[in-house]
Amino acid sequence: MTDDEGKNETPETPSLEDRTTKSGRLPGNRYVKLYRAPGFRRRGDRYVADEELLESASRLGRAYETVRRFLLGRRLSMEAEETERLSVFTGLAILGSDNISSSAYATEEAMRVLALAGMGAFVFLTPIAIAIVGVLAIVILSQSQVIQAYPNGGGSYIVTSDNLGTMPGLVAAAALLIDYVLTVATSTAAGVYAITSFVPDLQPDAVPIGLAFIALLMVGNLRGVREAGLIFAGPTYVYIFALGALILYGIFRIVTGDIPPAAVPPNPFPQEGEMSLAGLAGSLLVLRAFASGSVGLTGSEAIANGVPSMQKDERRHATITLVLMGATFAVLFLGLTYLAQTIGTIPDRLEAESLNSLVTRSLVGMSPFYYLVQGSTAVILALAANTGFTGFPRLASVLANDRFMPRQFAYRGDRLAFSFGIVALALASALVLAVNQGSVTKLIPFYTIGVFLAITLAQTGLVRRWRRLRSPGWQWRAMLNGLGAVVTGLVLIVVLIAKAPEGAWLIVLIIPLLVALLFSIHRTYMRTQDALVIERLDEEVPLMRAPVVIVPVGRLDRATARAVAFARSISPAVRAVHVSTSEESSREFRKRWDAWAGRVPLDVIESPYRSLVPPLLKYIDRIGERDPDKPITVVLASFVPHSWWEWLLHSQTALRLKASLLFRPNTIVIDVPYHFDEDREDHRHDR
Amino acid sequence: MQPKRILVALAGTSADPDVIRLVAWVAKPAKAEVVGIHVIEVRWNLPLDAVMEPELDRGEELLESAKKVADQAGLQLETELLQARDAAAAIVDTAVERKCDLIVVAMPYRKRLGRVYVGRTVQNVYVNAPCAVLAYRQEENK
Repeated sequence: MTDDEGKNETPETPSLEDRTTKSGRLPGNRYVKLYRAPGFRRRGDRYVADEELLESASRLGRAYETVRRFLLGRRLSMEAEETERLSVFTGLAILGSDNISSSAYATEEAMRVLALAGMGAFVFLTPIAIAIVGVLAIVILSQSQVIQAYPNGGGSYIVTSDNLGTMPGLVAAAALLIDYVLTVATSTAAGVYAITSFVPDLQPDAVPIGLAFIALLMVGNLRGVREAGLIFAGPTYVYIFALGALILYGIFRIVTGDIPPAAVPPNPFPQEGEMSLAGLAGSLLVLRAFASGSVGLTGSEAIANGVPSMQKDERRHATITLVLMGATFAVLFLGLTYLAQTIGTIPDRLEAESLNSLVTRSLVGMSPFYYLVQGSTAVILALAANTGFTGFPRLASVLANDRFMPRQFAYRGDRLAFSFGIVALALASALVLAVNQGSVTKLIPFYTIGVFLAITLAQTGLVRRWRRLRSPGWQWRAMLNGLGAVVTGLVLIVVLIAKAPEGAWLIVLIIPLLVALLFSIHRTYMRTQDALVIERLDEEVPLMRAPVVIVPVGRLDRATARAVAFARSISPAVRAVHVSTSEESSREFRKRWDAWAGRVPLDVIESPYRSLVPPLLKYIDRIGERDPDKPITVVLASFVPHSWWEWLLHSQTALRLKASLLFRPNTIVIDVPYHFDEDREDHRHDR
Repeated sequence: MQPKRILVALAGTSADPDVIRLVAWVAKPAKAEVVGIHVIEVRWNLPLDAVMEPELDRGEELLESAKKVADQAGLQLETELLQARDAAAAIVDTAVERKCDLIVVAMPYRKRLGRVYVGRTVQNVYVNAPCAVLAYRQEENK
């Protein structure tokens, strides 16, 4: 390590750090110069790459970086993960907005079904609302058990696969993935519907507005979960307080006997319905109304799925958020239902104006408060989609870690968000929204099946878990989750039967297909893993025989000379091959090659049909057949021009050949690049 | 005097940012090259080239923050980390090696036995440096 002469120590293999001992002016004065490569910080036995290494040197790269930083913010290191957590305040906005926002349309969805039997059928509205809140209470109690049992982020997939096996777990995962996509599409459509309710001129542009909302949510979420929470918290609380105030004002007017006349929608349902409430058909209609109103239960699983995104003491924070979410939904949903029924509001047949808008208009007219309620409803409905953006990427990352989804879903982006999952969700939901022309009614039948299936499976899994562990109090826990499983299972059956004719069957068909896809991805990964795994770490690394090196040469230039020099450095068995299109050019090339000092054996192939790559590939095949045990190494000389547009002026034969050799067994392809700047440098030295 | 090469010794004290700004003020009109060094003193019971991780990390961090201060002051600062038995000797030797015509050393305001205390390193640099030395002492109330 020391060098008293003051010369630099030259390690055999270059490393990221270096220590050079130098002598001072006075005898015995010595000091050590420490060199560390900039951008790498040592932490014990490893190096940590600094943020500065990610900075681009090119102008284009820097411009991209500026735009990226403007949209997504500065990069966050893994150490910042602790700060990227949700408090109860932001958690309720981020994870609870889906469930809370359902209160804006759950009443209307139930009323639209009951309206088919005429206005008289609305007497069932309050019992249905109470039943839905009852189911929600059971679901919330059961979900709190999921939080306690799986504080590291259970989610229905983990809970189910842990207790019922991989296949049911994948069914739950598939159901949830579909549901998250539908959450985003439906919530966005509902948000746009709320906007077009008070700005009807925007109705023809509903789909583009919806797509813009999704893009906005995508960018917001790519900025990281904490920032998304801060961005989205405001509108959620404005909605809660605005609707809460409206309900209190409505109750006050009803109690004081000042019941306002109901606002009339542009296309009201007729007084007399086309269906009868009597008999089986009537019972089915009530069940369908319950199923439609059950959309209000969606999003109740989001908090249990996202426990790890909560601040420290995750279980406690998640449980508080869960209870607050359920209570908020219940108050708003029951309040709105009570007001709609008491005032006598009738929903619009053609979805031209929402029930929420009608109730608000009945109570406060077209006052500024009306715009506040409608505006905040529109925003929270669109932001409810954010629950999907929180759930989908996290679930996809868990599935990717278990090798059921592509690995890219497990990578965290610059802001610690699962960027790939966020972008994939945005694309999928945008497609669903566009295909369904942004209609809430068209999307609702597909909705809720996935979430109820996943909750039912998770609850059943927990019953099995409590029975297996038999920890103190296991009986009441098992009973609670058993009740949850039965209730959500029943709701699932009701929803399935009631919504099958409207298209719910499609989800029943897609779930097994998605499960099959997840399985096939898993099989592929496992096959690759089996092929690549090193079974014994003490196994000697086998010595490879020196390869047969083939250097395809187009012309004799500096790039070729460098490739040949490199080829000779890795093996004594080097052959160059040149494909020419005429006898004359063959002769010419041979003459120059023979005169060149750095020559290696050359084969010239004449290709009268002017084809370059196929004769080269066949040549490589034939050489390989001569000694199949030796690997073939193809060394490609490639000229790298100064700028990207100059690149277009070159034929890219090396690139085409590389692509053709990509899947050829026992073949190593080495690129020897020759940069334009090096070329100039060499010329300068020559002079 | 128009210095062409300035060496600034950084000890990681609160005086470092001040002294970098001072050097920027001196160096910019003269278009002088500036190198900032930090010397890790190695105890006699360790080999001279011993790997001392915490000191290295601290050294790198303080040089990094010095670079940031220099950037803000519009000064291009080259940095170097050294290990030596005696910091003053290493500072002087580096200044000689790099042909510096000015060494700038900083000391925070501190008192010992009721008197302002000038550390051993600053004293030794003053005594042994063949080039000009500028010592910056922080003001009392800092």
